[in-house]
Amino acid sequence: MADLSVKVCGVQLKNPIIAASGTFGFGREYDEIYDISVIGGVSTKGMTLEPRLGNPVPRIAEGKSVILNAVGLQNPGVEHFIKEDLSFLKGKGVAVIANVAGKSFDDYGEICARLDGLVDFVELNISCPNVKAGGMAFGIKPESIKKVTEVAKSALKRTPLMVKLSPNVESIPVNAQAAQNGGADCISLINTLTGMVIDIERRKPLIANNTGGVSGAGIKPVAVRMVYEAAHSVDIPVIGMGGITCGADVIEFMMAGARAVQIGTANFSDAMAMPRIIRETDAWLDKHGVKDINEIVDTVTLN
Amino acid sequence: MKDLLAAVKSNVLVAENIYMITLTLPESAGKIKGGQFVNLSTGDGSHLLRRPLGVMKVEGDDISLCYQLKGDGTRKLSEAKAGDKLKILLPLGNGFDLSGRKNIIVIGGGVGVFPLIATIREHCADKNFYSYIGFRNKAAVCLMDELEKSEKLTVVTDDGSFGGNGNAVESYLKDADKLEADCIIACGPPVMLKVLKQKLIERGNKIPCYVSLEERMGCGVGACLVCVCKKADGSNARVCKDGPVFDINEVNL
Repeated sequence: MADLSVKVCGVQLKNPIIAASGTFGFGREYDEIYDISVIGGVSTKGMTLEPRLGNPVPRIAEGKSVILNAVGLQNPGVEHFIKEDLSFLKGKGVAVIANVAGKSFDDYGEICARLDGLVDFVELNISCPNVKAGGMAFGIKPESIKKVTEVAKSALKRTPLMVKLSPNVESIPVNAQAAQNGGADCISLINTLTGMVIDIERRKPLIANNTGGVSGAGIKPVAVRMVYEAAHSVDIPVIGMGGITCGADVIEFMMAGARAVQIGTANFSDAMAMPRIIRETDAWLDKHGVKDINEIVDTVTLN
Repeated sequence: MKDLLAAVKSNVLVAENIYMITLTLPESAGKIKGGQFVNLSTGDGSHLLRRPLGVMKVEGDDISLCYQLKGDGTRKLSEAKAGDKLKILLPLGNGFDLSGRKNIIVIGGGVGVFPLIATIREHCADKNFYSYIGFRNKAAVCLMDELEKSEKLTVVTDDGSFGGNGNAVESYLKDADKLEADCIIACGPPVMLKVLKQKLIERGNKIPCYVSLEERMGCGVGACLVCVCKKADGSNARVCKDGPVFDINEVNL
């Protein structure tokens, strides 16, 4: 039994396994299947100031070893979260990461101000590929990444700021540095890659939104490379994600430089994925005589 | 709700492109209602999504599900052999609630008949079912022995190659004035449910009607908000968690 606890920006997590935004709601549904207090943290469904209904259906499609989704930020609004779901998550003893999105810089400032001091992290979603206004528009260019980070940071006096980076960009190092320069306390990546799946009988995209965010096991090598690049271009902690399905994947991301990881699509393939991944990670550390998981962070050496 | 590793007992073709897979659960998953569904792995790790399949039959620890060959995933599933083990998450969704109902009209089309069969099986000892079932053609007709557990059964096909010629909704409407029933349960293609809703409104909404909806799903447990349907009040409902069974007047079809 290795010590799995990690500290990110002063926040203690019992283990580095965090549910990724959009795949886990606000935790209640999975808590009916297993006690979610075993996981390190939950990144909530992406929230906006006002409730949103999201995109038309179908919102999901499958490719080999990947899925695509285009939910379009359906959410009940940040006030609903604060009133209805926050105390439930806090009661579970998991790190609460509020994932937020806005249509304007002001939106980001306002939603961060509303959450300041209430949650363990605010995760800035500047890379949602599935909404027309906002989301991704802020997450592509380093200038807008820096600006939106500054706006969010100035509204957060007590809560650390995590900026979630898009992979659909020219340079991960440049964008990671832009987030750091804007005042981010940590970075998470990768969000989904933009993709399309076509139903060849109907000659139409399978997803109503035409394009969707690609996630799942098939994108893992891309994610590991980007996490490595980010971790080696900034001084702030990096949270890795993208296609993690087992304990060995967690070790791989942490060796690439991640201090913690998020698990998303794997929850769909296996509702018990996160407790299993925690056990597998622990077993790997035991087998390799590693007493503290932090010892493996950033230990890969390039050829 | 449990996630179990179940052994395939049989996996057989029951109609053109339609398979019935029976799995033995290693332990009880609690009560499973007609209209509820399971999330079944295809057995191929490259399919990251499980397949949401309506429960057709529960007998002890054996559970039977029917599915239509649609793409790679269902094709892979059709290759599962007796003894293979597949992960199954169940039971999911709300199912049909027939408490207080005695005489029930069943309207089913195509692969929509399977959750209705589970419901008929569950309640046929103490309730009466008047079933109107439509298939595309004779080759698509299946599970007649199960459907015959109805008090009265009318089967029609689009091309008249089995039973009468027509569709399930039309057949029901012919008898509607003669039937003294407490409610309707229905499942079938979207166009069938849309026409049913319209006809019931035209008839003055005299009888409650519950429909089971289908949508492409992600998690199957209500967390990911992928499988939503529009409610009459403009809000979204999750087909997997708030449904799949809804009052027909509550949802936009």
